[in-house]
Amino acid sequence: MDYKLSYTDADIDLMQTMRPAKRGYWFLLGFLFLLVLMGAGAWWAQIQTGMGLAGKNSPVGWAMYITTFVFWVGIAHSGTLISAILFLVRVRWRAAVYRSAEAVTVFGLMTAGLFPFIHLGRVWVAHWILPFPNFGGLWPNFRSPLAWDVLAITTYLTVSSTFFIVGMLPDLAVIRDRVKGWRKKVYGFLSQGWQGTDMQWKHYTAAYVFLAALATPLVISVHSIVSWDFAMSIVPGWHSTIFAPYFVAGAIHSGLAMVVLLLIPMRKAFRIERYITMHHLESLARFIIFTALVVGFAYAVEFFIAWYSGARFEKAIFLYRMMGDYAWAFWLLITTNVAAPMLFWFKRIRTSIPWLVVICICVEIGMWLERFVIIVTSLAHDFLPSAWGLYKPTPIDTMIVIGSFAWFFFLFMIFVKVLPAVSMWEVKEQLPPPGRGGAR
Amino acid sequence: MKQPAVPCVFAVYAHLDAVVRGIHALREAGEKEFQVFSPVPHHDILHAIGGKPSPVRVYTLAGGLLGLAIGWGITIGPLGNFGLHVGGKPLLSIPPFGVVAYITTILFGALATLLGMIINTRLPQVNLSAGYDERVSSDHFGIQVRCAPVRMEAMVRLLKRTGAVDVRRAGV
Repeated sequence: MDYKLSYTDADIDLMQTMRPAKRGYWFLLGFLFLLVLMGAGAWWAQIQTGMGLAGKNSPVGWAMYITTFVFWVGIAHSGTLISAILFLVRVRWRAAVYRSAEAVTVFGLMTAGLFPFIHLGRVWVAHWILPFPNFGGLWPNFRSPLAWDVLAITTYLTVSSTFFIVGMLPDLAVIRDRVKGWRKKVYGFLSQGWQGTDMQWKHYTAAYVFLAALATPLVISVHSIVSWDFAMSIVPGWHSTIFAPYFVAGAIHSGLAMVVLLLIPMRKAFRIERYITMHHLESLARFIIFTALVVGFAYAVEFFIAWYSGARFEKAIFLYRMMGDYAWAFWLLITTNVAAPMLFWFKRIRTSIPWLVVICICVEIGMWLERFVIIVTSLAHDFLPSAWGLYKPTPIDTMIVIGSFAWFFFLFMIFVKVLPAVSMWEVKEQLPPPGRGGAR
Repeated sequence: MKQPAVPCVFAVYAHLDAVVRGIHALREAGEKEFQVFSPVPHHDILHAIGGKPSPVRVYTLAGGLLGLAIGWGITIGPLGNFGLHVGGKPLLSIPPFGVVAYITTILFGALATLLGMIINTRLPQVNLSAGYDERVSSDHFGIQVRCAPVRMEAMVRLLKRTGAVDVRRAGV
């Protein structure tokens, strides 16, 4: 970031994102909306007809929906990492990028949260999983990781949304004070009368630190709990103690790549390259090298355990992953998740926008495939050869998954136009305060 | 937003050191009824004003403890009514119930922190402070001093002397 900018520069430049949209924006937004409608229509067809349309079968009862659910929860993780953990350890470059990363968290969870409902089939009884007294004699089985998952995701969405909204209050007040007409009323309401008094800042900064501190363990725990949806079972390829750290690293890996993919067009479109600089993108790319190495190590350890433990079923499933029906997906994920990010070791590549985009798209594809391979291969090829089966995507579940991507980007595009996508007050905190001196 | 009629003087400062000087001058003059406005939190300002640490941490602790109790409560409490052995685990299964308690601790801790912030910052506020100047959310600083109309002239002089670029009377 250019640390010679003034507070006024920061306000004017960063409010550029909220200027009236051009035709390209509306065209893209309309296109995404159509894709969302397509996904919603496919879901409606599935509700009307039944889960058979989704291609799931016995033995592969978890397929595209749970794959995509895990993928979106993973995407959400980098936001909290950047906004909360980097805040607590006082990393300066975080200020310009964390708001967008937080939006990735909130919208990622809003997208992920749809999939348990889609997967459920009978969506109208979804409330049975919630712990509330009722006359049906129902109570959640809290010994099940699926019940932990409901609580974890709901908590994560609540805490990250709180952190996201609270973090925006001072910026909404800046906008309130700079716009006129109906916008002033809207942002006046949204800023809730924030004025930046000493008393407000004192309590606000205290609350902000505690919210960051509370969000931090969620980065670790939420995806650990998602991984336990698998690891608590005895299915070969799932029943592993390394699943929690392995899933957390993978989640951060995909989330960082998504943040890079969203920041690159945003900084260009809104001409905020002075705030989201190549240094930010390079820092994220370096982070991706680290997460790729962790993920790569986890893949290697899985295979080592399968071989060295002598457990026949484990060995069989890992051989199946490498050489079976879904081997193409396995080798593609190794290439895209681990090999491709290694190119970031070269400064020329990690500071090149086209390379950053290509490699980050590779990581997203790889991380989605990783979850697909874990879920589908283990279910398709478990203990009994007589129970083996295959899964093939259908038009319905494919449309729903595509619709979920459109839904995420649709939400993000609305966000950048109506809310401050870069934190003005935290960027200003990094700048020298208005010139020293003044009359005596 | 409307500004209520509270007799006060509102001074706008362009520089951080000037507003800190203004705070010191007010404290030396024995003024207690004033508040400082700034676009970002500044240690210099909070240090000049002094005061106790924020009580928000107490809300966080209380919320976390409440969440911990709720987590164990919703898992252990209904065991008498829902005594069904599932998955070979005992009815009272501490490790899985601990996961639930861990999550509810964080959830209620965060909600209580939010509540503590709302209560202590006195949000939402329907009206902005008397004399509020829109520059203070952007690139200026401000001090609002509540005082009786008869003392306003002296207050204006004091604030101008400390480097205020604009001083106005409000609520009169």
